[in-house]
Amino acid sequence: MQEKLKAIRENFIEELKNVQDTNALEQLRIRVLGKKGELTSILRGMGQLSPEERPRMGQIVNETRAKLESAIESAQATLKEKEKALRLQRETIDVTIPPAERSAGSLHPMNIVLNDLIEIFTGMGFETVEGPEIEYDHYNFELLNLPKNHPARDAQDTFYVDENVVLRTHTSPVQARVMTTRKPPIRIISPGRVYRADEVDATHSPVFHQIEGLVIDKNISMGDLKGTLDTFAQRLYGKGIVTRFRPSFFPFTEPSAEVDLTCSACGGKGCRVCKGTGWIEVLGAGMVNPRVLEMCGIDSREYSGFAFGMGIERLTILKYNVPDMRYLYENDLRFLKQFR
Amino acid sequence: MKVPMKWLREYTEIPLSTQAYADKMIMAGNGVEDIENTGSLFDKVVVGHVVTCEPIEGTHLHICMVDVGQAENIQILCGAPNVAAGEYVCAALDGAHLPGGVKIKKSKLRGQISNGMLCSGTELGIPAGLYPHCGDEGILLFDQPYQPGTDVKEIFHLGDDVVDFEVLANRPDCLSVWGLARETAAVLDTHCVMPEISVQEAEGQGVFEDYAKVTVEDEELCPRYCARVIRNVKIGPSPMWMREYLYGAGVRPINNIVDITNFVMLETGHPMHAFDLSKVRDANIVVRRARPGEELTTLDGKAYALTEDMLVIADAEKATGLAGIMGGEESEIVDGTTDVLFECAAFDRTNNRLTSRALGIRTESSGRVEKGVCVATTKQALDRACMLVNMLECGDVLPGCYDNYPRPVESQVIEANVNNVNRRISCNLSGEQMQDILERLGFDVELNQDTMRCTVPEWRLDLDTDADISEEVLRLNGYDKIPSTLMTGVTMAGARSIRQVLLDAVKRALVGMGFYEAMNFSFISPKWIDALNLPEDDARRNPICIRNPLGEDTSVMRSSLVPSMLNTLSLNINRGNAEGRLFEAAPVFSPVKTETTAATESLQLCLGMYGGNADFYALRDCVLFLLNGFGIKADVAAGGDGYYHPGRKAVLSVNDVAVAQVGEIHPDVAAQFEITGRVYVAEIRLNLIRELSQPIGEVHVLPKFPAVTRDLALVMAEDVPIGPVMQTILKAGGKLIEGVKLFDIYRDAKLGENVKSAAFALSFRASDRTLTDAEINTAVDKILKAVSAEYSAKLRS
Repeated sequence: MQEKLKAIRENFIEELKNVQDTNALEQLRIRVLGKKGELTSILRGMGQLSPEERPRMGQIVNETRAKLESAIESAQATLKEKEKALRLQRETIDVTIPPAERSAGSLHPMNIVLNDLIEIFTGMGFETVEGPEIEYDHYNFELLNLPKNHPARDAQDTFYVDENVVLRTHTSPVQARVMTTRKPPIRIISPGRVYRADEVDATHSPVFHQIEGLVIDKNISMGDLKGTLDTFAQRLYGKGIVTRFRPSFFPFTEPSAEVDLTCSACGGKGCRVCKGTGWIEVLGAGMVNPRVLEMCGIDSREYSGFAFGMGIERLTILKYNVPDMRYLYENDLRFLKQFR
Repeated sequence: MKVPMKWLREYTEIPLSTQAYADKMIMAGNGVEDIENTGSLFDKVVVGHVVTCEPIEGTHLHICMVDVGQAENIQILCGAPNVAAGEYVCAALDGAHLPGGVKIKKSKLRGQISNGMLCSGTELGIPAGLYPHCGDEGILLFDQPYQPGTDVKEIFHLGDDVVDFEVLANRPDCLSVWGLARETAAVLDTHCVMPEISVQEAEGQGVFEDYAKVTVEDEELCPRYCARVIRNVKIGPSPMWMREYLYGAGVRPINNIVDITNFVMLETGHPMHAFDLSKVRDANIVVRRARPGEELTTLDGKAYALTEDMLVIADAEKATGLAGIMGGEESEIVDGTTDVLFECAAFDRTNNRLTSRALGIRTESSGRVEKGVCVATTKQALDRACMLVNMLECGDVLPGCYDNYPRPVESQVIEANVNNVNRRISCNLSGEQMQDILERLGFDVELNQDTMRCTVPEWRLDLDTDADISEEVLRLNGYDKIPSTLMTGVTMAGARSIRQVLLDAVKRALVGMGFYEAMNFSFISPKWIDALNLPEDDARRNPICIRNPLGEDTSVMRSSLVPSMLNTLSLNINRGNAEGRLFEAAPVFSPVKTETTAATESLQLCLGMYGGNADFYALRDCVLFLLNGFGIKADVAAGGDGYYHPGRKAVLSVNDVAVAQVGEIHPDVAAQFEITGRVYVAEIRLNLIRELSQPIGEVHVLPKFPAVTRDLALVMAEDVPIGPVMQTILKAGGKLIEGVKLFDIYRDAKLGENVKSAAFALSFRASDRTLTDAEINTAVDKILKAVSAEYSAKLRS
């Protein structure tokens, strides 16, 4: 009987070596350790043994069983590991297959630029105010020191709806609306769409966008205007950008200035973008004309203010080097998809 | 305003290079558009003396040996008929550049070397006005034996720098050489000296009144009129220096009398006119408004019908010129003119502007009048012209000058406080410093402690408040000296407007769904509105019209965003962009006034989709998803505007208020926009989103008990819409039903004709217990009863 046990054990160990998968292992287990297995049948045969031999023999059989079971267990663990590795390997996919065409979506480039500007000015305490695009002559011109038949009105070729109603030629009527309805201190920006009767070409559009700023308070000076625009310029284009003020003329400001910024493309050294000058002309600005304040019901002896304005199209074209203004209003997806 | 540097230097010192000078002028507010040199037309062209000239047999060419001032004569072939030995000519040497990018190179013709080219005036870009001997045919032949080898630019007076000033709208005084000379002297702090004006009047020829009579009938529109008579005029070319200045300033030299009027206009800023007195009937000049139905043919040969608003210069019979705009054809100066009347006058700016706009005529003269001409110096300018007549010896100026100036302009005084000026411009200048600056600019300043009494120079028409004085001070002190300071005072909270906050949220959601933002013009063609096939009484058919549009295509303010979107989709489809998702957020306009505005502008959102996975449901779901983002649950019902596909359109509403509509565009409408495939469009009323948006509020406690699910397959007629069925299920399910989802629609002949089976997954839950089968069965029974009653839907067996 002992020999038999030994033979079973040795045979089992030998067979275990050849087992390739968990199925074969299970069959081996059943054949040896199962209810009708070889080891079980030996246990059954124990009845024929003497009572003295039985406990000793039983112990040997149980030890053998324990040994075999532990061998199966460890073989099983190895095989499972092996099979998992095999499965994972079979599940390998080609990760370089091109992605599904899905558009990411984007804002219009002009709104990307506008958002940056609003962000900067909001941070400086400016409140955004908007106004109508179809505007009374009164707000668009009269209150801004552009009386009827003023030649400067010609510079802003105006679309008329009727004698007293125009498509606003600038965002400045929002200033007039705010000044006539609020008391200083006032600190606003007003972005929006404006209209001038220019034919469409690479640099002109009859519809375009501006953003304007207006500050009215006690003791506001030209230096405050420069300080505000310097801060703005540096937030927009980075440190080292400065403003250059040149005298100019706008009926609603006095003194007036054209404001250039250091060319951000070359840092002021002169390049193609700034046509070699090192400066790009971006803003019009000035101290609010005291006449405008008075017409809007603000005491010009007590209060002063400044105003500034710039074109969103121009900033967008400069920022992204857009070759033709028409790109901005065509809405060709091949253009729009370049933004994010 | 183009000004030759030489002309400016006649009256002021400019101890700087042209570029350095321009930079200084720019920083003082006198913009410079360009600097050109009149000599940049060509180079390496010298005087040549043709020593020998032999024809080449059988050709039109000549072999010329030309002395060009070099050690040896050079051989040049020339095909011009007028080339001949002994002539002095323009010789372009090897390597010369001529106008139009022409480069002269040594070359071989008919086996003969040619070392250059003999040129015509045209080839050199020299107009006959500048150099009258240019000749129309053949090469230019000099009328004098100039030294061979001399640069011909010297002979043509070319080589001066011309500065093109961009004069600001408020500085008409700088539309003149004298004005710019004054400005230059102020900016550079140098001196300017204007010529002493004196007229040599001829004796023994009679006086002005003997030859002409002037009547100003409308002194409102003509506040000053000055005239003089010149007799015995000899029309001919003006001298080289005058031609050079006119040419440099971009004005074509014509003849001495016309050149004088142009020269004076450029020099003083006063438009002038010269009449051939023999053509003025009764030698009678009348300044009056045009008569009803009156007509006039101007100098350029065009006929105009005039109206009574227009001011004309007439003779005894009829209008002979448009005041301050253009003279008439009849009284034009011609070669045989002998008696001339010079006019220099001031006209009403606004009236002049309206007339020139109404007739569509813009001239150098009208441009100046409408910007403003100094009334006080009118006679001075006229006398300057007569002084030039004296100088050029081209006629006799008669004694006497007509000058009708009923209300002389008074000198203007502005008071300014030194401290206020300093505060405004962030400077710290003393009263004396300001006084010095202002006096450089021609002001008279009386300084009394902190008060300046500033008498404005007569030529300045743009100043009236102390703010203007502060700009003058700042301009000359230097805009570069403005310090950079930070505003003090109350701290203010910046913020985006409510509208922007809404737009930002909407756009963020749409971008996340793969939409690109489009921007279209706000005005469209009325045809685009017609293309929508709206009912006759639809308000959108009544858009706001622009009175003076650029064209019909852009003549009405859009009352809907749909046409622009269809155009955008069409452009993208036709350019081969396979699929697209686009949106535009913009106001639409209607001609209804509000309390504060002249029209109604309501913010709309329009989505467009085509290609790829685009279909009705894809777009509808984007809209629902967008609305859900604002806590808005909209009910979907079939319906919508007629420009959508009749069977594929839906209105999305909240409490019976339509918030949005979505659909496939009707093929007839699509065709009008040259779209052949299927495109999908949605419109959302953004102003409603703000009103309907729901706050998040308190959170719901998470359920502790499990949900129980039941699937129901209901058989119903094909045309029963699923949405309402699901509403009914939810309603009938009472408190216990938690949700219902559609998971399948099945059609089969066994079910029957025009019948479908819809399978729903229902989930039930109570917050305080696990539901029993009995409870659920009761609920399901109620549901089955309800759908049977409302839709004749039966449980599928």
